[in-house]
Amino acid sequence: MADQYDAIIIGAGHNGLTAAATLAMAGLHVLVVEARDNLGGAAATEELFPGYRANIGSETVSLLQEEVIRALFLKMHGLELRETPIGLFAPQPDGTALTLWQDVTHSEAEIAFFSHHDAARYPDFAAQVATMAGALQSMMLLAPPDLAELDPSALAKWGRVGWKVRRLGDRDMMAFMRLLPMPLKDYLDEWFESDALKGALGAAGVTGTMLGPRGGGTTLQFLYQNLGGLNRYRTVAGGTGRLAEALGSAAQANGAEIRCGSPVARILVDDGRATGVELAGGASIQARAVVSGADPKRTFLGLVGPTKLPPRFMRQVRNILYRGSTARVHFALSALPQFRGQAREEQLSAAIRISPSLDYLERAYDDAKYGRISENLYLEAAIPSVADPYLAPAGHHLLSVTVRYTPYRLRDSNWEEQREPLGDRVLATLARYAPGIEQLVVDRHVLTPLDYEQRYGLTEGSIFHGQMGLDQMLVMRPVPGWSRYRTPIANLYLCGAGAHPGGGVTGAPGYNAARAILRDIKG
Amino acid sequence: MAAQYDAIVIGGGHNGLVAAAYLARAGKKVLVLEKRHLVGGATVTEEVYPGFKFSVFSYVVSLLRPDIVRELQLARHGLTILPLESTLTPLPDGDYLYRGADHWETLRNVARFSERDAGAYDEYSRNMYFMAKAVKYILGVRPPDPTRYHPRDLWGLVEMARHFLGLPEDQLWLLAKLMTMSAADFVEQWFESEPLKATLSASGIIGTFLGPRSPGTAYVLLHHYMGEIDGAFRAWGFARGGTGGIAEAIASAARAHGAAVRCDSPVAEVIVKDGRATGVALENGDTFAADIVVSSLDPRLTFLKLVDPAQLPGELVADIRKFNVRGSSGKVNLALDALPDLAALPGPGRHLAGAISFSPSVDYLERAYDDAKYGDFSRQPYVDVIIPSVIDPGMAPPGKHVMSCFVQYAPYELREGTWEEKREAFGDAVIDALSTVMPNLKEVILHRQVLTPLDIEQMIGITQGNIFHGELSLSQLFFLRPAPGYAGYRTPIRGYYQCGSGTHPGGGIMGAPGKLAALEILKDS
Repeated sequence: MADQYDAIIIGAGHNGLTAAATLAMAGLHVLVVEARDNLGGAAATEELFPGYRANIGSETVSLLQEEVIRALFLKMHGLELRETPIGLFAPQPDGTALTLWQDVTHSEAEIAFFSHHDAARYPDFAAQVATMAGALQSMMLLAPPDLAELDPSALAKWGRVGWKVRRLGDRDMMAFMRLLPMPLKDYLDEWFESDALKGALGAAGVTGTMLGPRGGGTTLQFLYQNLGGLNRYRTVAGGTGRLAEALGSAAQANGAEIRCGSPVARILVDDGRATGVELAGGASIQARAVVSGADPKRTFLGLVGPTKLPPRFMRQVRNILYRGSTARVHFALSALPQFRGQAREEQLSAAIRISPSLDYLERAYDDAKYGRISENLYLEAAIPSVADPYLAPAGHHLLSVTVRYTPYRLRDSNWEEQREPLGDRVLATLARYAPGIEQLVVDRHVLTPLDYEQRYGLTEGSIFHGQMGLDQMLVMRPVPGWSRYRTPIANLYLCGAGAHPGGGVTGAPGYNAARAILRDIKG
Repeated sequence: MAAQYDAIVIGGGHNGLVAAAYLARAGKKVLVLEKRHLVGGATVTEEVYPGFKFSVFSYVVSLLRPDIVRELQLARHGLTILPLESTLTPLPDGDYLYRGADHWETLRNVARFSERDAGAYDEYSRNMYFMAKAVKYILGVRPPDPTRYHPRDLWGLVEMARHFLGLPEDQLWLLAKLMTMSAADFVEQWFESEPLKATLSASGIIGTFLGPRSPGTAYVLLHHYMGEIDGAFRAWGFARGGTGGIAEAIASAARAHGAAVRCDSPVAEVIVKDGRATGVALENGDTFAADIVVSSLDPRLTFLKLVDPAQLPGELVADIRKFNVRGSSGKVNLALDALPDLAALPGPGRHLAGAISFSPSVDYLERAYDDAKYGDFSRQPYVDVIIPSVIDPGMAPPGKHVMSCFVQYAPYELREGTWEEKREAFGDAVIDALSTVMPNLKEVILHRQVLTPLDIEQMIGITQGNIFHGELSLSQLFFLRPAPGYAGYRTPIRGYYQCGSGTHPGGGIMGAPGKLAALEILKDS
């Protein structure tokens, strides 16, 4: 026996590191093994071109749980969070632009330019979203109850959530239940008339899913994305990857070891119990618990192997819908672009969203549904170097663009062929809103869903480790019956975004998984 | 006041009639007021062209609750259900998928497209049987109100939790998936061949304004399976004499218990005094007094038209205005000179005695939805066809036939133009689509009746022509149907009740809303 650890964490993504730090802080001897050479996984920041530091999967950490920040003393470990007063800037095809602020009154004034009716309704809307998101937040840091075997302690905890939802009052409680399965389009149509406003808000509802705004459950996704506050835009100074570094530092300060460049070949299972991992180099490392930050398909089909798992469970895992549909294009720019309808530089400090209407989003989805890249791209851009000049060489800027509805499975083509055309099209789309931007491009880097799978180990390139649909949330994440971080293999746990509550840089799955492990270990 | 009744039921659709029959059976003096010249509402048979009888709006039956059939002795009142034994999915390439009463033949057919699908077919059927059994429970209960602390509501919630948590774990989870998935994703867990996936998924879109890939449609799929549980393998059937035969049987049962049914009596409003319903006024000014008034109309009409919304709590009015009643389907009724010939299976045959589903692939259905979501009818629509005269020759003159085509999607609100301008183009799209698999169809058409959602609304009154009185989406089911706090068939006006498809458990020729409402009314009086 080479080494003996209490727990081995597979993957130094932000959830793996959160789990590692939480376990190490509780006194466990922890080892983190990471395939790549740097920390962060999809939440890393990497120098894709010399001098430019690009966020790989996530630009923001708006959903990062306060309790995780506090419990792991992340600020002490160098985490510096930034909030912009601006939430998003949505340039329109007619040359105008809608800016939404964190501040409701500010937003109201901007919305009034598009619709007085909508401006008047916005404060009530923001209040309802806050109430509903609050109810959702109360579920973030709890393991979902096991409906098949309700144990008293879980019942008590979820009873408190139920009570919290109940305390919303009759109207809000019923509204909550009504809203979760609703198509976001229906919800926004109940409130607003302006296409610009609905398009800008609506984009949040299709994040993490391969669904259009008319798809059921997109309202839940919208609330999830706005958990931290409507249109909140919170980033990490120095790039999202700094969060992983802070988490890594917290873990190491408590005695955890982190080995980068150590891909795991398989999880060692003996008689239904996980006993350690075998690295790609052939070395095996023993541990009392194995905690996988990889997504469920990769964990069970790739690392454990189907023969070691109950057939019914395997079938559930095979049926998880991944629907990876995110690509990112990073541009190195020689100067800051000027968007039409943009008055101040500050407007470029948060999300720049090309989603002028819900139908625009829906049509972008239509193409993806049939295995094509959207004719008109829905883009979510950011120029992190506006707020954080450190991310690009002096005077230069980094423009990072998320393209949704880029299906992992292209019907009549493949991603090798489509990589550069996608980059061209993103640029052409942006040029419609920011004329002359082409001349500023010094370099560019396209990350396709296939790249996310091959380089970051994400099945189908799903950065959320599985679609965030109603059918894959709560007690059904990752698969029904196994939402409590445990798996059919004893001592094997899941701690990634494939587990409750899901994707986004929240830290919640890692934190919840660690606490489940501690309960098991300490009996 | 002309007459005094214990209860007046507004609308002689199947739910109104079921409510009336149960009330009369309990000894109430009941009057049913129907605006048209015949009972049935959307459940009618009419001789649209001389000698050709059509189930004008609805077409098949399976969900009708067996307890209602039994308790109202509908068989004695003339109800005969003729089984529809097969579903044929003809394909544009000349092939077809046939699923019928002969199990092995069905499996052989499925296997022609995919061996794997044939292997999974029985398991899928078994699962759906269990699912239908699992939800059957809710078809028989008034939805408890989770915001109330009344013992009945609390007990109802506990009972429901016990029922569902008491299911075997596999079934509980499958049910959870069914409630939240899209029909296409759901069936894809078992199947891979397009004709089979599409035809199964199609049940998930009927009556909704959602595509087969929209989450929530798997529940609608289940809704259409609920009827299969008490019958044989394929329990979809066709009422002898058309669906009107069902309404007439229920009306006959109601009359036998002493209820009066008046046709040609459109109700203008419910008379409310001091927060109490005291009767109704007809459009011609006649009034009828009663202590109990029951509306079987859809929620919009029940709350916003029959009574003055100003008398209702503002929140309820707002909820009802938000209640999604988007009309999405149309109907094309054809009088045929001869049987249509299927390219895949020429000549007459038993396949014409079943359903013919024009649903070649999931993408085909999804594209049909794409047209509709931007405000146009589907250029290549989903069509569910039956030829009732094959199994019930009385529906057409000798040698001739009637063909019923249920069509999706036809949005009530068109983005451009009006239904008046587009009606025939819509009809043409349906005929063109069917002609690709029925080459002689155009030659054998004698008459064609095209019904758009607007026509359905104007003819029988259902808002937007929505056949379910409101979409069967998760946001509008159970204690949310039709509005929070009012899912128990009562209204804020004392003595005024609702019993239509807009209430739990929803649409289809099921009768459950009518019966459950009647039971609630009887509890109150």
